[in-house]
Amino acid sequence: MAAPVVPESDSIRRAVSLLNAVDPGRFPRLLSRLLQKLHLKTESSFSEEEEEKLQIAFSLEKQDLHLVLETVSFILEQAVYHNLKPASLQQQLQSIHLDQDKAEAFASAWAVAGQDTIEKFRQRVLTPQKLETIGWQLNLQMAESMQAKLKSPRAVLELGVSNEDSKTLKKVFVEFSHQELFEFYNKLETIQAQLDSLT
Amino acid sequence: MRSGPGMRAGPAAAPSGAGRHSAPAGADGGWRPARARPGAAMAAGRAAAGHGQGESGHGGRGGGFLGPRVPAEVEAMARALQDVGKETFRRLLKVTVNALEGKDCKESVKQIAESTDLSEEQLAFLISGMYTLLREALRLPLSTFKQEAFKEDLKELRIPEDFIVDFSSVVFGKRRPASEGTALLQRSRLPSVQDLRWRVDVAISTSSLARALQPSILMMMKLSDGTAHRFEVPVAKFQELRYNVALILKEMNDLEKRSILKIQD
Repeated sequence: MAAPVVPESDSIRRAVSLLNAVDPGRFPRLLSRLLQKLHLKTESSFSEEEEEKLQIAFSLEKQDLHLVLETVSFILEQAVYHNLKPASLQQQLQSIHLDQDKAEAFASAWAVAGQDTIEKFRQRVLTPQKLETIGWQLNLQMAESMQAKLKSPRAVLELGVSNEDSKTLKKVFVEFSHQELFEFYNKLETIQAQLDSLT
Repeated sequence: MRSGPGMRAGPAAAPSGAGRHSAPAGADGGWRPARARPGAAMAAGRAAAGHGQGESGHGGRGGGFLGPRVPAEVEAMARALQDVGKETFRRLLKVTVNALEGKDCKESVKQIAESTDLSEEQLAFLISGMYTLLREALRLPLSTFKQEAFKEDLKELRIPEDFIVDFSSVVFGKRRPASEGTALLQRSRLPSVQDLRWRVDVAISTSSLARALQPSILMMMKLSDGTAHRFEVPVAKFQELRYNVALILKEMNDLEKRSILKIQD
């Protein structure tokens, strides 16, 4: 059996005892909500109001609630990292003395949403800027200030590049003549050949 | 695969200038004929209004390649040329051609001003008129604009015969300003790709996934306006990009074959 995925530290032990005391009715919904937002780094899953509601629902103090939420998130992140099967997740949790009903809740939530969550993590990139949107326009330029009677086809590509911090889409406009677009296309084909050689 | 969304609020794509620039754009320190005198500038403004109404059609006062209304500075130049000697004219022509090529002409103009007895005002009209005349002539493609037509139009303006010959050799002969990399090819366009670098990575393991095995593409695009953009392209987006570029190429090919390109010049 591999090394335990969830280490038995003091805070984990404390969190487990808190979890065991929590009412199991609302637990599955908490899990699926956390799973949905797990891949988003900056957002915390719950707003201020929601946290207050949770405190009441689970009858936990603010500190304890934070500990519980962080621990559950940590467990889920570990499941993602090791690509655990639901059964082994359940086993791991039971070995740190989590109640069986809670461990089962974990396992079933993971069975439902696990693969999607892993996929979302796969798509996460380290580079700050990512290409999000592609738009284009094909124009026929008839003239310009320095030349009359042109009739030259020109394409304008609009690339929407997202910046991780600002969340705004930076629009990059690039213009191509026929020849330039053809060269660009050849470069894309080269990249595609490299991608094909990977599989 | 869907084609990419069409641009909603498109930029002024391929802006074909509605107004004209009366001065060489981007020629820093170059002598700007049309702005030398407020009068000349206003004349150029009127000329801009009168343009765009057909550059074809010969004969008749104000017809020809300069459009239905001859720019005021060209008329003024034509009148002033009657009193200008051949030597002076040749020097003025040289300065004008240099200005068209984007070179700095301040020195040469000063020299001409000192060595002849032309007033500053006359000099301004002469050079700005010659500049406008030549620039308009050089705009037209040689395939449709013929030397006889040009000479005819200049005769209508009552420009002395020898000077017509000199003008012709600039527009049609070997002295035609080189079009590459000069003020004449100052295209109003959006930036184009100057350099495209890329790499394909496979992420084996990340802090969130022990076994990721996810290919990714990193692109570094340097544009002609000096900006550089480095961004990651997810594989799915890359396919979309490739599809769209192929689609544009196909449409370009169709466009070039269609009869719209057989619009008569």
